[in-house]
Amino acid sequence: MIRFDHIEVRFGEHTAIPELNLEVKQGEFFTLLGPSGCGKTTALRTLAGFIEPTKGEIYIDGQAATKRPSEKRSVGMVFQNYALFPSMSVWENIAFGLKVRKTKKMQTGALVAEIAGQVELTSEQLGKNVSELSGGQQQRVAIARALVLKPRILLLDEPLSNLDAKLRVQLRAQLKNLQRELGITTVYVTHDQEEALTMSDRIAVFNHGVVEQVGTPEEIYNHSSTEFVCTFVGAINKLSDELVQRLQRGGGTALHPNKASYLRLEKVSLQPPANAGGSIRLEGIVAERSYHGAHSTYTIDCSGSMIRALVPESGAAPLTPGSRAELHIAPSSILQY
Amino acid sequence: MLRSPLVLVVALVTVWFIATFLIFPSATLLIGTFFPDGQLSFRAFEKLTSSERAMNSLWHSFLLAGTLAVTVNVVGIFIVLVTDYFAIRGARILWLGYATTLIYGGIVLAAGYNFIYGRYGFVTNAVGNWFPDIDRDWFSGYFAVVVVMTLATTTNHMLFLGSSLAKIDYQTIEAARNMGAGTVRILWRIVLPALRPMIFAVTVLTFLTGLGALTAPIVLGGTDFQTIAPMILTFSKSSSSQDLAALLAIILGLATIVLLAMMNRAEKSGVYFSVAKVATPLQKQKIPNRVTNGVVHVLAYALFVVYATPVLLIVLFSFVDSTAILRGMITWDALTFENYATVFGTPSVLRPFVVSVIYSALASAIVVVGMLFVARVLQKYRNPVTGLLEYLLHIPWILPTILIALALVMTFDRPQALVGGQVLTGTTSLLLVAYIVVKIPFTLRLLKAAFASVPESLEDAARILGAGSMFTLRKVLFPLVIPTAAAITALNFNSLLDDYDAAVFLYHPLFQPLGIAIKASTEGENNLDSMSITFVYTVLLMIIMSLAMYLVYGRSGAASRRARRRKPRLIP
Amino acid sequence: MHKRTVTASSIAFVLLSTVALTSCSAATDIAASGDASGTLIVYTNSNSDGRGEWITEQAAAAGLDIEIVGLGGADLANRIVAEKNNPVGDVVFGLNNMFFETLKAEDAVSAYTPAWSDEVDSTAGDTEDGAFWPLVEQAIVMVYDTNTVNAADVPTEIADLWDGDQHTGNYEVNTALGQATPQLMLASLLAPYADEDGDLGISDEGWDQVQGYFGHGSPAVEGTDLYARLIRGEVDFGVIPSSGITSRDAEYGTVTGVISPQDGVPYVTEQIAVIHGTPRQDRAEEFIDWFGSSDVQGQFAAKFAAYPVNEKARVQALPAVVELIESLPKQDIDWALTREHIGEWIEKTELGYLP
Repeated sequence: MIRFDHIEVRFGEHTAIPELNLEVKQGEFFTLLGPSGCGKTTALRTLAGFIEPTKGEIYIDGQAATKRPSEKRSVGMVFQNYALFPSMSVWENIAFGLKVRKTKKMQTGALVAEIAGQVELTSEQLGKNVSELSGGQQQRVAIARALVLKPRILLLDEPLSNLDAKLRVQLRAQLKNLQRELGITTVYVTHDQEEALTMSDRIAVFNHGVVEQVGTPEEIYNHSSTEFVCTFVGAINKLSDELVQRLQRGGGTALHPNKASYLRLEKVSLQPPANAGGSIRLEGIVAERSYHGAHSTYTIDCSGSMIRALVPESGAAPLTPGSRAELHIAPSSILQY
Repeated sequence: MLRSPLVLVVALVTVWFIATFLIFPSATLLIGTFFPDGQLSFRAFEKLTSSERAMNSLWHSFLLAGTLAVTVNVVGIFIVLVTDYFAIRGARILWLGYATTLIYGGIVLAAGYNFIYGRYGFVTNAVGNWFPDIDRDWFSGYFAVVVVMTLATTTNHMLFLGSSLAKIDYQTIEAARNMGAGTVRILWRIVLPALRPMIFAVTVLTFLTGLGALTAPIVLGGTDFQTIAPMILTFSKSSSSQDLAALLAIILGLATIVLLAMMNRAEKSGVYFSVAKVATPLQKQKIPNRVTNGVVHVLAYALFVVYATPVLLIVLFSFVDSTAILRGMITWDALTFENYATVFGTPSVLRPFVVSVIYSALASAIVVVGMLFVARVLQKYRNPVTGLLEYLLHIPWILPTILIALALVMTFDRPQALVGGQVLTGTTSLLLVAYIVVKIPFTLRLLKAAFASVPESLEDAARILGAGSMFTLRKVLFPLVIPTAAAITALNFNSLLDDYDAAVFLYHPLFQPLGIAIKASTEGENNLDSMSITFVYTVLLMIIMSLAMYLVYGRSGAASRRARRRKPRLIP
Repeated sequence: MHKRTVTASSIAFVLLSTVALTSCSAATDIAASGDASGTLIVYTNSNSDGRGEWITEQAAAAGLDIEIVGLGGADLANRIVAEKNNPVGDVVFGLNNMFFETLKAEDAVSAYTPAWSDEVDSTAGDTEDGAFWPLVEQAIVMVYDTNTVNAADVPTEIADLWDGDQHTGNYEVNTALGQATPQLMLASLLAPYADEDGDLGISDEGWDQVQGYFGHGSPAVEGTDLYARLIRGEVDFGVIPSSGITSRDAEYGTVTGVISPQDGVPYVTEQIAVIHGTPRQDRAEEFIDWFGSSDVQGQFAAKFAAYPVNEKARVQALPAVVELIESLPKQDIDWALTREHIGEWIEKTELGYLP
């Protein structure tokens, strides 16, 4: 559906993207994830046609689209600040693209009403000025405006970053549902790994203009292919060399002693696992516990090396700081780079 | 960049216009003056540097410009804050008082202040009655010129800074307050930085006004504080001294361009527009400290009185016979309709008004529409070529109007291929060209600043929705810069209405503009009522100008103000 | 909604104006150069105080369709020179001989001998080539109000005003050297000191006079008439053209006295000429013949307190005017030298001597 083929983007002396190769499949929710300044927005804007790459080619539906102006790429875009036209009403904002295409009035009305229904905007809200809407409502307007033209690709540039936490979580699901309903190929830019993991079909993790890994959320999370990916996506323990050596001695013979080693929090168990065969037991003292409701995070002092563990709350009495704890770690779940 | 047909057309028209009406005439004139016999002459330079008077006047002009750049900003920002930012009682009335500078200026304004504070002014007289020993000339020289010009040139602040202020995202102010910032800190750290691009733009204008100061120093400067503009004017009119006039003008022009370049650089280095989704409308701020609040109110109203009195006086004086004014004794019997009778008794008195209104309206409309496109292209495509074009468009700031007019007459008095082999001298079109030319830099500067304050993502959004560059301009960008454009149109219109300098060389004999008519009616060795007649014309001009401001600015301003009030904050 | 009405009305306005101006340019084409028909355009600096209207009316009665274009002297002269390749005006009158010398030097006027040429003193116009012809004469005089100034305090020579400090700041000097009267005053000051070896044809002594004159004077106040300053005691003396005296005495209740120096006062003569290159040469000549005739000049003099050069017309001039003019001897000024150098003199004065 979409293919970045050896794309290079330079702004004068500065190289934003040295080389980008990516493929997005039809109907996929594809996320470009990375810290700010990593080149993900540049990639998105290149796809939208706002930036012309210095090298390489973008293919949309198998056709070279690099020279195609953005309006001919059948892409809809939602901007980080929504870029709603302040001089127009909500209705006019949504109908803008239809007006450009000289759609008949009747049809425009119907299409706007349809999309407004889909994004849950009331007809009263349609008559308002955009500045009279709340942030969440403005975001719906921006989505409606991007979708009303029925583009084949939807681009979203950090669309949730301006909203408060609760609204963000709520809109995440709505946005994902909408995308699924419409079956529209979506490219989503975010720096929020949780957003990326919950919404995406596949994720590309960016760092310094380079894609470190492309994969499903599970692959990214569980099988991070680079050190950057594993530290950027999700919480993780960095294991000290001394601890790795202890694990090695305890049976993890496959572990390399001199590599950077990481372990996801939820892979550290405080109870002996059902089949204890593959795991190694360590002992330590509880240094801290933070309670999150459904689960707690324990920080355990393992002879000088701190290890955090994410433990589901089963209703049993919690371990108090200072008490002894035993840790069970499967060497196979340790990521080494 | 040249792929867009809009850009291509704009580029072609701009290049043609610059070549034909800016470079070609100016070059003709300047080459004629500086290369009299085909050789560069340093005569003008030597003459000027050896004249103590010229050097003093030049220094005074720079001093004045520098001073005004500070004082006008102080007063102008104060005015904008008390009318649009702080909750001040009667802000609308205050606004009207401060807005009086929109509708009059020049000699009448200077004279108005002189009638109040000058040697024979009534304030001086009143104080003199109590303290006979006061220096009756207290209101003259540098001090008086700075005071009067400061008050007279806050116009741009009122219009442009006011509209920029309205665009500030109120949430940023709320956020700052939330974090415990006080009124002063919010002003200093949030509000003023957000206004910076516009402050820069109006500072350039103020500086330029100071450099070109003509009437205020003549009327109020006394022998101690004369500026260079009157000298330029005298030299422009004498063919043997035009090189001096041109050189002086170029010195002033270059100073302005240097300032402009500095401001351009500063403008580029900052992100000014709000990054908010859609800005929350500004709410008026209460001044928490009661004493400060009181002081600000008193200051605001004191300033109001200072602004409003000369206007009221001029209206009054237009009904007083001129001997009484000059004697400084106005009694009830001195009131008369005689001055109005004289003006309206002149045959075809209305015709110059019609001619000038048409010329000014056409010129200000054309220049604003044209510069909307040019400013947009210049702001969007920044490269050495557009940079050069931008500076070339400022040529009219380098040369005084009178020299531009002369250059146009002398260039187009024969068929010129650049204008399709037409002879323009002696036609009605050349004055229109001149009016457009002289208004280009002012219009361009402010429109560029206006475009700069529009977030780029709006354009991207329109583009991705399929809107062509023309459609985007028309539907998305223009509505956002229209308030500024309308204000510029009105200001251009008002300032062209009574133009004399360009018209004197360029007007078609059968279409006499107002400036010429006023001058004609006030000249004459036996015409002793010239000041009164000037006042009558000023009052008539004020009426037209107020109407113009109301038509293109006041109403939309009022509408947005109403809208602001109508819209309570709905955001949860 | 509001915005829409604003835009609509502005568009309507612009459209309307465009229509109006298009019709203007249509009219222009008729009046533009190369066409012998159309209104005769008369350039003058002498149209104020109702003179323009009076001349237009009288000309119409005589069957001449004219349009008066009035501008200040220096502006008008500059405009005619600037337009010389494509003249807009057909006739010019009212400028003084100094300006006319410039126009002649720039080939902006062409010679024509009017029908009334033998009724005027030919030395008052362009003696050599007859490029311009004299209409009206006036004196540039230093005046005072006899009500307030003692006859004993009045100097006999103008130069006494700045000789010593007695009158310092007590007489008005007009520093607007772009205007005709200050220029004539300058020419008058320098005339006695013509010196081929001096700077710009003037001896150092002459320049000392200029320095003294401006250095001790009180600069004119823009927008305030000399007489207003005289009656409130701000200054005692000042320079004006003689034709302005009568009306001011009536207005301000002053009784004007005039300093009459031994060498006389500068006289200027307002002239008339055909503008070079006009397509309406015949009608321009017709106008000159009519306007300069003793009959019209006589009526003009009687109505506007002028002193005509036309000897036959002089009988109709006001007795007071004739008396004043004839009491003042004429200063001998080398107009050719003045015309040649006046620009440089102004420049030097502006740069070096103005207060």
